[in-house]
Amino acid sequence: MTWVRFALASARMWPMPSAPSPIVVDRPETDEVVEPDTPWIVLVWNDPINLMSYVTYVFQKLFGYSIEKATELMLDVHQKGRAVVANGTREKAELDVFRLHEHGLWATMQRDDA
Amino acid sequence: MAKPRPPIERLGASFRINLDEEERELIGRLMGELRELLAEPSGDDRLRRLFPAAYHAEADRAKDEEYQRLMRDELLASRLTGLDTVEAFFDTSDPDWDESLTEGQMTAFVQALNGVRLVLGTILDISEEHDVDDMDDDHPLVGEFQLYNFLSWVLDWSIRALQAG
Repeated sequence: MTWVRFALASARMWPMPSAPSPIVVDRPETDEVVEPDTPWIVLVWNDPINLMSYVTYVFQKLFGYSIEKATELMLDVHQKGRAVVANGTREKAELDVFRLHEHGLWATMQRDDA
Repeated sequence: MAKPRPPIERLGASFRINLDEEERELIGRLMGELRELLAEPSGDDRLRRLFPAAYHAEADRAKDEEYQRLMRDELLASRLTGLDTVEAFFDTSDPDWDESLTEGQMTAFVQALNGVRLVLGTILDISEEHDVDDMDDDHPLVGEFQLYNFLSWVLDWSIRALQAG
């Protein structure tokens, strides 16, 4: 694979970072505001980097969707710009968004008040 | 002529990596560079795709700030754990290297590889209109785009192998 060797020789790698900074965990107490348990929806947005096959795979893995359902959602993301992939309470939606972010997908959430 | 072996293939419950040593070394080096980049103070623009907003509505800005404060470190820890799982596999100096991965290792590999690809794609400012296959050989970033293509190729075969189960 000569082109890989070429990439090896020519790719400018990312500059070396400086020494790592300590991670400071800051979790101050907050005055929790009680909100109505309105359902939330989780959206995945189209992006030019993630492979279509990868997006389909993540939907299958995280939500247990069939290949057909996962492919349909992936195509919605690709063609319409976004798709609703999950819904539920705010806590559930945050967990789903977190898992999607772990997998590198561009996911956000909003109240389902449409 | 013998059919070429795919770069990654499923063999029952495990996965075999058929990449040559040079390719493994390249992937291992990129994983190491991602780890170093993750150690940078937050806010590095190259990492923006790895730590996106959770709430997109303007009205939810405070919620997103709270989410980032509580979850960013969790997300960072998750990425580092994934790199821990796969980095040793791409250490070409390991004399006991085994070419097979478990499903858990394969899953971690796919996530880590996708993370590397997201950072490289961000640096290269990949867009929908951009076709990396149409790039001229004398383009100043042709090597980086070939690298991006290589990672896409490995990732796509990895997903096929996982879905073949």
